[in-house]
Amino acid sequence: MTRATVRRNQAATRTTGTFLRALRAIVWKDLAAELRSRELLSAMLVFALLVILIFNFALELDASARATVTAGVLWVTFAFAGTLGLNRSMATEKDRGCLDGLLLAPVDRSAIYFGKAIGNLVFMFIVEAIVLPVYSVLYNINLFQPGLLLVILLGSIGYVAVGTLLSAMAVQTRTRDVLLPILLFPLVVPVLIAAVKASTGFLEGLELVDIRPWLNLLLVYDIIFTAVAFMVFDTVVEE
Amino acid sequence: MNPKPRLLQVLDVVTAVLFVVAVGMVFFYAPMERTMGQVQRVFYFHVATAWVGMLGFLVAAITGILYLVRKERRWDTAGLAAIEISLVFFFIAIVSGSIWARPTWGTWWTWDPRLTTATIVELVYAAYMLLRAGIEDPDRRARFGAVYAILGFLSVPLTFISIRLLRTIHPVVIGGGSSAAEGDFSMTPKMLQTFMFSLLVFSFIFADLLWHRLRLGQLADKVEQLRLKTIH
Amino acid sequence: MEPIETTNYMFAGYAVIFGVMLVYLVSLFVRWRKLKQDVQILQELEEKEP
Repeated sequence: MTRATVRRNQAATRTTGTFLRALRAIVWKDLAAELRSRELLSAMLVFALLVILIFNFALELDASARATVTAGVLWVTFAFAGTLGLNRSMATEKDRGCLDGLLLAPVDRSAIYFGKAIGNLVFMFIVEAIVLPVYSVLYNINLFQPGLLLVILLGSIGYVAVGTLLSAMAVQTRTRDVLLPILLFPLVVPVLIAAVKASTGFLEGLELVDIRPWLNLLLVYDIIFTAVAFMVFDTVVEE
Repeated sequence: MNPKPRLLQVLDVVTAVLFVVAVGMVFFYAPMERTMGQVQRVFYFHVATAWVGMLGFLVAAITGILYLVRKERRWDTAGLAAIEISLVFFFIAIVSGSIWARPTWGTWWTWDPRLTTATIVELVYAAYMLLRAGIEDPDRRARFGAVYAILGFLSVPLTFISIRLLRTIHPVVIGGGSSAAEGDFSMTPKMLQTFMFSLLVFSFIFADLLWHRLRLGQLADKVEQLRLKTIH
Repeated sequence: MEPIETTNYMFAGYAVIFGVMLVYLVSLFVRWRKLKQDVQILQELEEKEP
């Protein structure tokens, strides 16, 4: 199939129905593969719990210090575990030749982006869903507040939006895994700061009006970077 | 391509002259500041070099978009040139700022918005270089560089705002903000003139260096092409 | 009020500013020369090829 033919097919099949079907297929492919092997999730999970453990020793948290530091510890944990997930998710794609296969299919490239991003997001949610109760139990804090959960949702979206794009780039370089954190962390600083401040705000029971700026920042970041990442993903995976 | 264009020769001379004048203004025209003493003179070039850094980033983001749209080699060469210059000048800005901070605020480093954002931006530049270094294929290198430059540029305002919403002790010399912060100073007319002139001069320096670095990049591309030809 | 004596810091600051700028200019010049030499060598090689 020539490039032109593939493109013509893409144009012909570019209906919402096909897009959603492709999206669901890609997301399900990753989830199903993970359900069978559970490699990625167990790695992310164990890693996250280890990070929390290390923080426990590194920071000597007494009850009062813990209140101010909890949000920070949580987000550092999520950021590091997230990197693992992003790396592995793209690496397996490339190594198994799935990426090339996906690219040849008459599927809109943005479906690939959203598919991978949603898959990565789901993995992050699963890790977060387990880390939260563990942390709650270990430190006797109730982390299951709607405000906090909202922050975790918004923060994870921003992180994964940029991370998916960057991991697609990193996986095609010589330095691969090592490069992703280097590329990702400087760009994702607004998310981390806003997420930590907003989380702390909710945990300390601040007024919504004080937390609002941070939530707005997260929202703006999510919108801008998801849009830009999806627009630009095409050029990053083309051959 | 090889002989230096007339306009560049002129630009070189003009830039050099302006630079000498600026140095003269900084050391002899501008008055000494009331509280901080002589170290305040560092401020003029400290801000000017930071300005060059940001200018370079803007140029890199624009050439990045142009490359993705037009796929012409020269936009990539320009982007790399801009980021490299920004890397150098932002480094100067950060270190000179630190040296200014030490006697002024009693500390080499502060985690205030501008300095922290500057460091993050510097890391973005470094990441850009590392990204390019890990890619063999010139087209892919150009594409990825362009994408990262664009993303990086977009993240800077958000990064700055997010850190700004936290505390600051960096002097707010221009525009509003609390001047209750230590180390703040207001500029007399002569200081303002020196400051604005420095910004102008360093804009010239940026343009001049960018052109030179562009030619260097073009030469490097030519070497690459010749190398590929002789291999076959 | 007497301003504090900070002349040394000023010199240090400008040493960095001028120093790094100079190093960069020199690096540009050195790289340019090296590339020029490479072009020379490669063009000679190319002429030798049949």
